[in-house]
Amino acid sequence: MRIIIKLFGGLKANRDFPQNEEGDIVLELSEPIAVGEIIETLNLNKKPFIVILNGVNLVDFSTKVKDRDEISLFPPIAGGYR
Amino acid sequence: MRILRINMSEETPSAKFEELGDYEGLGGRALTSAIISKEVDPLCHPLSADNKFVIAGGLLSGTAAAMSGRISVGCKSPLTGGIKEANAGGQAAQVMGKLGIAAIVLEGKPKTDDTYKIFINKEGVKIEKDNSLKMLPNYDLVQKMKNQYGDKIACISIGPAGDMKMSAASVAITDMEGRPTRHCGRGGVGAVMGSKGVKVIVLDDTGTTPRQPKDPEAFKDANKRFVAGLQKHPVTGQGLPAYGTNVLTNIINEVGAYPTYNFKEGKFAGARKISGEVQADLEKQRGGNPTHGCHRGCVIRCSGIYHDKDGNYLTKQPEYETVWALGGNCGIDDIDKIAMMDFLCDNYGLDTIEMGATIGVAMEAGLIKWGDADGAINLLHEVGKGTYLGRIIGNGAAFTGKAFGVERVPVVKGQAIPAYDPRAVQGIGVTYATSPMGADHTAGYSIALNVLKTGGFVDPLKPEGQVELSRNLQIATAFIDSTGMCLFIAFALLDQPETNQALIDMINAFYGWNMKDSEVMEYGKKVLKFERDFNTRAGFTKQHDRLPRFFYKEPIPPHNVVFMVKDEELDQLFNW
Repeated sequence: MRIIIKLFGGLKANRDFPQNEEGDIVLELSEPIAVGEIIETLNLNKKPFIVILNGVNLVDFSTKVKDRDEISLFPPIAGGYR
Repeated sequence: MRILRINMSEETPSAKFEELGDYEGLGGRALTSAIISKEVDPLCHPLSADNKFVIAGGLLSGTAAAMSGRISVGCKSPLTGGIKEANAGGQAAQVMGKLGIAAIVLEGKPKTDDTYKIFINKEGVKIEKDNSLKMLPNYDLVQKMKNQYGDKIACISIGPAGDMKMSAASVAITDMEGRPTRHCGRGGVGAVMGSKGVKVIVLDDTGTTPRQPKDPEAFKDANKRFVAGLQKHPVTGQGLPAYGTNVLTNIINEVGAYPTYNFKEGKFAGARKISGEVQADLEKQRGGNPTHGCHRGCVIRCSGIYHDKDGNYLTKQPEYETVWALGGNCGIDDIDKIAMMDFLCDNYGLDTIEMGATIGVAMEAGLIKWGDADGAINLLHEVGKGTYLGRIIGNGAAFTGKAFGVERVPVVKGQAIPAYDPRAVQGIGVTYATSPMGADHTAGYSIALNVLKTGGFVDPLKPEGQVELSRNLQIATAFIDSTGMCLFIAFALLDQPETNQALIDMINAFYGWNMKDSEVMEYGKKVLKFERDFNTRAGFTKQHDRLPRFFYKEPIPPHNVVFMVKDEELDQLFNW
């Protein structure tokens, strides 16, 4: 199975991973594993605070991924003021 | 601290100072809303002599308190027909505070179409007729004032949109560099200032000192704890300084709550190209600055300076809502063109949110094509020139929707809905629907909990818990808007009780009060009561506390949800 991982807000992986044309990480997995485990594997420069799985803010990081899932990771961020 | 009242109805406008009296203990939004609610006929025409234009710093403006640079303006809004408070950063609040002025109230209306400037320093107030200022854009106007009064002034001004009394006209406040980049944007407040015949208020605090607290030691200690709390929190200490508010583009897009093509879809393919990350990189490469305060004493520094491709100053760092409104909402993914539109809005004196939503409606009408950045820029120039088309666009999304027969018009109480789709983030929909201000994300920023997980988490896609969330945020925001503090302190306040306590300690030490945490909420409720009461007397009913019907009928992709909070629940928001 193939999943896409998008890093935002200055997050960077400390290892080389295959990327698509958008610069997102493409992970090939032989079996479903937990989102939390994937984050550990990435060895990021900062701990992600917000984890989005297929457009939904994830609360339970033990959720296992499926083929074609998209994970978006963010550090603590905010805004919303003119 | 005193109130300065200026009567613009007299042939030679007169100024008089008076004590705060019944308004003692009120600042910022509390003060503007109390004066409007008590002194203005709710049924008056917003551009008539019966309306008043109030400018107020916050409780801590002009003190040594960090983050205390917000300034509020209030009036009856020509856009919503209800009460309005709009606030901004910049230098003016601190200068007003140091001059001992709690509020400036412009009353009446000139009988001629003459334009006036008002100069205030520690010696007093000078009001002069100066018709050479009429229709000047903000940047030219402020430069002219600096040439006349020196570089150390702070200006409160309107651009041509305010001169023409357009309902999307803003009030500009100069920043630390003396540029007119911080705007009380919403609700057409610039039109009301324009209707008073006042083009610019020039403030000079030469020879003044900061306001002194009742208990200097306790104040200093509380301020220190407050600053340490802001610097410790990852959002106010790291996230906002690094990327500014536009860091939100990617996350709001990723959760499918980024309205695009006039609220038809919740994800924009070009979002990454206009994100805060890209913007900050460009600013660094071109000699701008992605980490810069909008007023002295700001320790968060979420603003910035944006240079063009040649390395010349173009505008301040455009905020997330601006980039969304004039960019993603219109299918535009060119960050330089969006920055140009930010400059044009500041220069002509226009609310960027209202303008972006309006251009989206104009695109819906087929006036220009989706994604046509040059066409959008041209529409803003039409507004600045005051052509017939420009006068339609400059009066906002609702007006433009009517002029061109468009059904999908994203407004509440006549004011454009900002950068978060209320179907994908139900909590912000509650705020849009119920705020006395019309659609205003800052009035109760549920995004903090619905998306950003600051202060907790409430599932954005479900209706449960959203009314309570919005209620608590609206009350707390009404208090913060009254202190003169930047609302961004709320991220640290929500997560760190000791930082919240430091703010209360600081206010208590300054005024010699003994305010408890629970009384903070009572203060916020009092402000909202002033505002709701005014709107009720102006003819607003519970039917005005609703979103446009398409949000209830048209599911938005990718989540394919509609707004689900029931009307009866919305009606409970102010039953505390």
